[in-house]
Amino acid sequence: MKIVKRGVKNLYSLLGKNKYLNKFRPVLNALDEVFFGTDKVNTVPHITDHLDVKRFMTMVIIALAPVVLASVYFWGLRVLAVIAVSYIFGGLTEVAFAIVRKKEVHEGFLVTGLIFPLILPPAVPLWMVAVGVVFGVIFGKEAFGGTGKNIFNPAIVGRIFLSVAFPRIMSVNWQAPFSGGWGGFLHYQNVDAVVSATPLVLFKNQDILTPWMDMLFGTSAGCIGETFRIGIIAGGLFLILTRIIDWRIPLTFLISAPLFSLIGNTFFHAHLAPPAFQLLSGGLLLGAFFMATDPVTCPFTKLGKWVAGILLGMLTVLIRGFSGYVEGAMFAILLVNVFTPLIDSVVLKLRYKTK
Amino acid sequence: MLKQLRTFKGGFKFKNYPGQAKPILLFAGLPSRIFISLAKNSSAEVKPLVKKGDIVFAGQIIGRDDANILSPAYSSVNGIVEDIKLPTDPQKENPVIVIRSSDTSQQIRPLGGCLSSWQKLNPEKIKELIFLSGALALPVDFSKKITQIIIQETAAEPYNHSLDLILEGKNTLNFIEGINILKKIMPSAQVHLAISRQNKRIISEIHKLTAHLDWLDVCIAESKYPQGSPQLLLPAMLKKKIPHGSSPADIGVALLQAEEVIAVYEAVTSGKPFIEKIVALSGPCFKENIHLKVRLGAPLNEILEGRLKTDEPVRLVLNSLLIGQELKGMISPVDKTYSQIIAIADNREREFLAFLRPGSRRDSYSGAFLAHWLPWVKKSVDTNQHGEERPCISCGYCQEICPAKIIPHLLARYVRKEIIDEALISYEIFNCVECGLCSFVCPSKIHLLKHIQEGQKKLLAEGYHIKA
Repeated sequence: MKIVKRGVKNLYSLLGKNKYLNKFRPVLNALDEVFFGTDKVNTVPHITDHLDVKRFMTMVIIALAPVVLASVYFWGLRVLAVIAVSYIFGGLTEVAFAIVRKKEVHEGFLVTGLIFPLILPPAVPLWMVAVGVVFGVIFGKEAFGGTGKNIFNPAIVGRIFLSVAFPRIMSVNWQAPFSGGWGGFLHYQNVDAVVSATPLVLFKNQDILTPWMDMLFGTSAGCIGETFRIGIIAGGLFLILTRIIDWRIPLTFLISAPLFSLIGNTFFHAHLAPPAFQLLSGGLLLGAFFMATDPVTCPFTKLGKWVAGILLGMLTVLIRGFSGYVEGAMFAILLVNVFTPLIDSVVLKLRYKTK
Repeated sequence: MLKQLRTFKGGFKFKNYPGQAKPILLFAGLPSRIFISLAKNSSAEVKPLVKKGDIVFAGQIIGRDDANILSPAYSSVNGIVEDIKLPTDPQKENPVIVIRSSDTSQQIRPLGGCLSSWQKLNPEKIKELIFLSGALALPVDFSKKITQIIIQETAAEPYNHSLDLILEGKNTLNFIEGINILKKIMPSAQVHLAISRQNKRIISEIHKLTAHLDWLDVCIAESKYPQGSPQLLLPAMLKKKIPHGSSPADIGVALLQAEEVIAVYEAVTSGKPFIEKIVALSGPCFKENIHLKVRLGAPLNEILEGRLKTDEPVRLVLNSLLIGQELKGMISPVDKTYSQIIAIADNREREFLAFLRPGSRRDSYSGAFLAHWLPWVKKSVDTNQHGEERPCISCGYCQEICPAKIIPHLLARYVRKEIIDEALISYEIFNCVECGLCSFVCPSKIHLLKHIQEGQKKLLAEGYHIKA
């Protein structure tokens, strides 16, 4: 601790001497704040909650830890490289904006930088990870003015950009997961494995329903972090229990999606998969617990959250069933993000109209 | 009648804060000097009846103003008037009488006309005794105006004085006699007690003694902050709302504490002027957490001498850690509004990797720290902000914890952007009960309460009216 303290102090004095280096002050401030808490004291109220944004974001990362660990097991150590690239390039973008704007570096990126790689296919080229995360951070967040002002979830913006710009690589290149023994912990990548298809692709093209056990425990193809669904559910429940995310959106999303697919499945049997399959396939669970609940981009009114959850379920099922894309959860979240301000303002009008 | 008090949405239970004042009462000792303010409220003050060099006794009236019927000012010690300080800036300061204490007698001269069998006194005499004793901080024509009396001991703050101590021994009986006295001078008033659920013994005792009274009910209150706030208590107990900017007395409600009721009893039966106050010493920075009987006007440095721990900087707070005023400089004299002094560490220490620690003693609305799952462990308490200020991420905590059902982050967003218009009023900015929970809970450390108050002020300054 003393070494870190001395190091930070030396860096500060270095920055103080050099005009050019001084521009990097936000970076050093962020580093300083990460290691040492604040020395500021309250006025009124005299006490404050111990939770801060750093802890808030750390909790999300803790909740994602089992998923990250499982993804290394299923897809090999390359996953770690993907995550590292995402953090480094996203972090640099964030820092560049902080320096130009002369503002502090904010913590929101800690979560974006981890979620983004989790929604990419395991075989994604590393350069594409970099392009995607830079695009996502710039156009998903910084263009709107930074943390707290963004309309879209930056990770999803990056992901959608990649899907649109490089559709072949993003939707065809699926690896089969490792299984048995040490799995991917001892391999860089599953090169020998036959290129297979995700459960959603299998259903869309060949009407095959993957066994639900495979989907629940991760032994099916899919994006890096979306297949170990039991871990996603556990992480999501952990976040709900610790009040980091609100229960309303996951609950309504996870009720409405099967509900709409039940209705759809009865009428359009060929297009729409049955409810349980919908729930356990693609990025629905990861999206419901970790992305649709992003507090900045989801409605803040309680009724608005219910509305958003229902919309999410409906859109996911519709896009999956009737569009050219196989996965609908990401698009659904992006679309609902667009409607968030409208939902909130309508709910506020309804609630405060009569008085 | 025993009733459950209807609780409210939102709010927060502060549990297991270290250093609750134990039910032990010590006499603080006679102060060497007292400072008696002549201001009775923001606009009115009493005229001094003494001049420099006069000899006064404990309980002597040293300032009164019968024309405006304000309750008088007392000397709380035997001594000599040392100075009458007139303020240089009457807007900010009050005139103060300084009295040097001259002997060590603890005797207080009783008021004339008191009677231990108070039933024989006529209501006018009782009113006069209460008025002269200064036991109640109510307008004097209260007996006509007041239709409801609420005696509240809801104990919902992080720190609370001990009701066990205030109603110790015979004081429970005296308390009930005090209520009877109040009922005699305000015959049309209904009396309601709001007592926190933890005080089981007191609730059952009072219930036993008062069950036959049809004009009195005992409400058992959840000890959830801010249950004690009049804006929540009145609607819950009486279904009455207090308009913004008015006091409970304006709508015919007297809000009292148990200690005041006992003071009424003592004034009427033994003629004791209200010149001693029980003050709890709460918080981990006191060597001993006890209650002190303090003469009014005694300066803080004399009362607290040798009672504070000296190993770290301390912040002293009056009555409430959420909305209480900071007691700076230790010179302010004790007045009737003091019910406890809270001492917590003024923690400017930067903690290494604070956000990664398990936090078994860290209190939080969220479940992000271990403390949430270990409710029996004592919490830590200090003034550190525990995090840097950040932009609002709309996490919704302020909205969920708000007992007034408003959306603090929405209001703060408007005020920060200087959008001061009807929208703020329609979003019920004036329903704020100023409990401070929104600022407490915000993970981005935004001063939501301050923004809301600023918004209210600007709205009024721009001539907007509050719809009732």
